[in-house]
Amino acid sequence: MNLHTLKYTFLSFCALSLVVACSDDDNGTDIVQASCSDGIMNGTETAVDCGGASCQPCENGGDPDPMEPVALDFTGTYSQVDFMGRPGINTVLNGDDESKDAHNVSIPSEGVANFQAGFEARLVGLHDAYGAVYENNILGLDAATLTTVLAADVLEVSPNLPTTYFNPGEDNDGDDNPLTLDGDEIAFTGRALGDDVIDVSLILLFGGENGIRFSGQDTNADGEADLPRLTSDGVAITATPTDTFPYLGAPE
Amino acid sequence: MRKTKLLMGLGILAIVGVVLVAADHIDAPGTTSNSADIADFYAFEPSADSPNTVLIVDLQTNVLPDLAYGTFDEDVLTEINIDTNNDLIEDMVIQALPRGDTMYFFGPAAPTATGITGEVLVDSPLGSVAISDTEAITTTTDDGVSLFAGPRQDAFYFDFTQFNKVLEGPATAPLGFNIGDDAVDTFDGANTMSLVIEIPNEMLGATTGVNPLGVEGVYKMWVTTNRKQ
Repeated sequence: MNLHTLKYTFLSFCALSLVVACSDDDNGTDIVQASCSDGIMNGTETAVDCGGASCQPCENGGDPDPMEPVALDFTGTYSQVDFMGRPGINTVLNGDDESKDAHNVSIPSEGVANFQAGFEARLVGLHDAYGAVYENNILGLDAATLTTVLAADVLEVSPNLPTTYFNPGEDNDGDDNPLTLDGDEIAFTGRALGDDVIDVSLILLFGGENGIRFSGQDTNADGEADLPRLTSDGVAITATPTDTFPYLGAPE
Repeated sequence: MRKTKLLMGLGILAIVGVVLVAADHIDAPGTTSNSADIADFYAFEPSADSPNTVLIVDLQTNVLPDLAYGTFDEDVLTEINIDTNNDLIEDMVIQALPRGDTMYFFGPAAPTATGITGEVLVDSPLGSVAISDTEAITTTTDDGVSLFAGPRQDAFYFDFTQFNKVLEGPATAPLGFNIGDDAVDTFDGANTMSLVIEIPNEMLGATTGVNPLGVEGVYKMWVTTNRKQ
């Protein structure tokens, strides 16, 4: 049942019951109020045309048909307690509990002012831990610019382009590195269920200009990796999304 | 085996305090064990050249034991914020709020106020759907909007245990992330409480937003949960 149906079903119910309940009070004053049947919540009503001092209560307990629809209470002020745009931003780039909690009650338009400096320090610090210095990434962004982009924590969604968090496209320039931008890449058009958002994020943060800066390379050819693997967490999707609504697999 | 590894990792983390996870699952102390915790947000074109966009908000998670999971909270309003003019301020919102066995959706419409407080857009009902159990109950409104609310698989994947070792630096994780069978999806087998909306693009309207690569005509979206005061 949609809300309109619900509303009007209740209106009919209320209008009928008002005749009995509201117009026959013992002080002789007719307390039938226009507000109890005007289809909007006003006066002291706690939902549309019910509740408060003048109208029928919103709950139907004790009425002949307990299944009779009741007006629903959607009133009140709601205050933000959690916030997310892109995946992993708060988890990865806010380094302390205070910042993580502050991020959840922040808004994107204030994100750069409130969080960019901390994000950049975190990015530099993560590189420091592995004895490295941040290099411009595959999008050509320096640390300040990348963290500025990420601090405005929103998901860009293009309604008319294929959805991808980041698709490097083909290696059209033949440099044997498909991550190097060559014009056919698509990025930031949304987030599909299968998108490897963690690997994309790691590549943008640690991959340097070719996206593979820290990928477990064996630089001295001794058969052992001597650079850490920081551009992929090594896992693929294990859930089983579908092609039909609601797209997410049944719970396990 | 995967659970065992996770619990071993948690044993280590328990020493340092609150366990925090990603993408937005349990992302901060203030939302841990909280029915309003956002786990994830997806927005995508469901098929090539589709006239619709799919919006998915995952709330709560059972990836770790003893978390708030399994029931939508009637005091928690979920809101998808949509900026259509590139100023990072929401121009319209889509809201979801449960009552009884039903999830009610509102919008897309301008919010009563921008920022961190708001009210339910009772004058802009979008539709409602019975909250599912294991079997998916869906509905499609006269406007062509499909709706779902209920438990679903968590589609997120991440070796969160190794990530925390990487954060500790090369002394703990000299080679960074794992590969092959040593790399484990922490979220394998986890569920979330999901809200799924498939909406015709025409109901979202035009946008002048631009993405970081200069692509025009993008919405800037984010999701919030909001607790009744």
